Amino acid sequence: MSNDILFLAEFAGGKPARSALELATGAAELATQSGGSAVALAYGSGAADGATGLGAHGAARAVVLGDDDRPAITLAASVIAAVRDADALAVLAPATPNGRDLAAALVGTLHVPAFGPVRAARLADGVLETEQATLQGSAITTSRPADGAPSPSIVLVLANTFTPTEPGSGSAEVIQAPAAAESAFAKATVVESHEADAKVVNLEEATVIVAGGRGVGGEDGFGPLRELAGALGGAVGASRAAADAGWIPYQLQIGQTGKVVKPSLYIGAGISGAIQHRVGMQTAEHVIAINRDPDAPIGDFADLFVVGDLFQIIPALTDEIRRRTGSSKA
Amino acid sequence: MKIVVCIKQVPATSADKRYTDDLRLDRNGVEAIINPLDEYAIEQALRLVDDGSVENVTYLSMGPEQASEALRRALAMGGDDAVLITDPALAGADEWATAKVLAAALDKLAPDVALMGMASDDARGSLVPGAVAAMRDLPLLSYGSELAVADGAARVRRLSATGFDWITAPLPLVATVTDQVGEPRYASLKGIMAAKRKGLETWSLADLGLSADELSGAALTQVTDVRPPEAKPPTERIENLPPAEAATKIADWLDARKLI
Repeated sequence: MSNDILFLAEFAGGKPARSALELATGAAELATQSGGSAVALAYGSGAADGATGLGAHGAARAVVLGDDDRPAITLAASVIAAVRDADALAVLAPATPNGRDLAAALVGTLHVPAFGPVRAARLADGVLETEQATLQGSAITTSRPADGAPSPSIVLVLANTFTPTEPGSGSAEVIQAPAAAESAFAKATVVESHEADAKVVNLEEATVIVAGGRGVGGEDGFGPLRELAGALGGAVGASRAAADAGWIPYQLQIGQTGKVVKPSLYIGAGISGAIQHRVGMQTAEHVIAINRDPDAPIGDFADLFVVGDLFQIIPALTDEIRRRTGSSKA
Repeated sequence: MKIVVCIKQVPATSADKRYTDDLRLDRNGVEAIINPLDEYAIEQALRLVDDGSVENVTYLSMGPEQASEALRRALAMGGDDAVLITDPALAGADEWATAKVLAAALDKLAPDVALMGMASDDARGSLVPGAVAAMRDLPLLSYGSELAVADGAARVRRLSATGFDWITAPLPLVATVTDQVGEPRYASLKGIMAAKRKGLETWSLADLGLSADELSGAALTQVTDVRPPEAKPPTERIENLPPAEAATKIADWLDARKLI
């Protein structure tokens, strides 16, 4: 077994996803501990040109497996061949739908240990050790491969588990992808693609998110939230209730069945804070909740809980922020 | 056309959770429910029965004996019969072992579609469906907000980064659906009565031709520690202030943390 750490590097829209930079950093950290190298398995539009750039975040080598935006599972055979070829200690995968599909294909094909989604991964005495929040966050478990379990371990990694390093001067050496065997996974094909009605941003990349819930009351109610997000240089998100009501596209839903986000600032307006929403945003660095109900569950885990009418407070806050940031620029 | 819906019994969200000395969840006396995200898979299967494209729905679960309650509850919503895989050797099964057991059971049941929820409420790994597909060498259609079957193929509507795709694959296959398929139906009184007469078989590992050895005990992973989450600092509150004053206080709070 080599001591290399592989990671799945997703690209979209011609550039690496934030997860690719985070996992490059994490794989490089683990590789330093194991005495091996960080190796990217890159796919998605932009991977062919961009893979070498992952070297700036610590990847020594990169294998390009695909260069378009089709569902990653159709590349499973290539990923499996590359992982077999590399004989590594661990494979890090982003805890996204595509990352989970590929991780699952690896676990089921190679019969290797699966971990995650983890919020920490390290080597302890040369053995992989991971930390995971289980049972709706009621416990933190630490896990390892069982004695004698085969390698590599497949590790699903939550967003923001690793913080991307400042880009350095390194570049990853692009190596040829090994030939893939035939696979049933390749039988899935996209027959139609539709663009969303409105242009949607990728919430996973946002550093400030202003999210609205049932309390926003309707499509128009998101207007003041957009103004505030604009003043803060952030994006608008939503709870499942708001997405289900059709007030905002599902691509902007945060929570268990939507996006998992970790902005530096999350402002939740008219969101009660059900566990299903909480798991999508609980690792935000700063959480502000604005809600009329002084007993809303979100008050239990927000850093700052503002009890009041969001339709009065948010416009006032937007004005105040514009005044302060405007005057600081003058 | 036959669908097998795989479901998992999980502790209720509100239940108090404790761990046993060997670091497993203590399921004794803990209120248990059908994993909420599996109810959407059940609903999707039953909708395909309603519109005539599926004739038979079987439920499959792996778990302790009390997981038969989850199967009865599913049968009360609709469907035909159920299978519970239970075996003392499966205590502490991880995702790989779970997938191996479900794959063996699905080989026996041979459905056109093995349908699952997008995640379980307790562990959230979401790896079992894809691992089952790999073990059975079948296509995977995952994260569908809608599933349709016709002409020897299935297709799902799946969110993409910028919109959505329709993805198709030939039967048989493994599929997962999200909570966008529609609200799960309630079990009617009639449904609950009817469920009592529906078939519920119990299979052991031996019935599947599997041994504990082949399952590496029941896991390729081991839990070495369980602890409570870190305590959070107390929440600061702003209450009973006019909007402009509240806004000033929030801006001060943001300023102090260099967020504006």
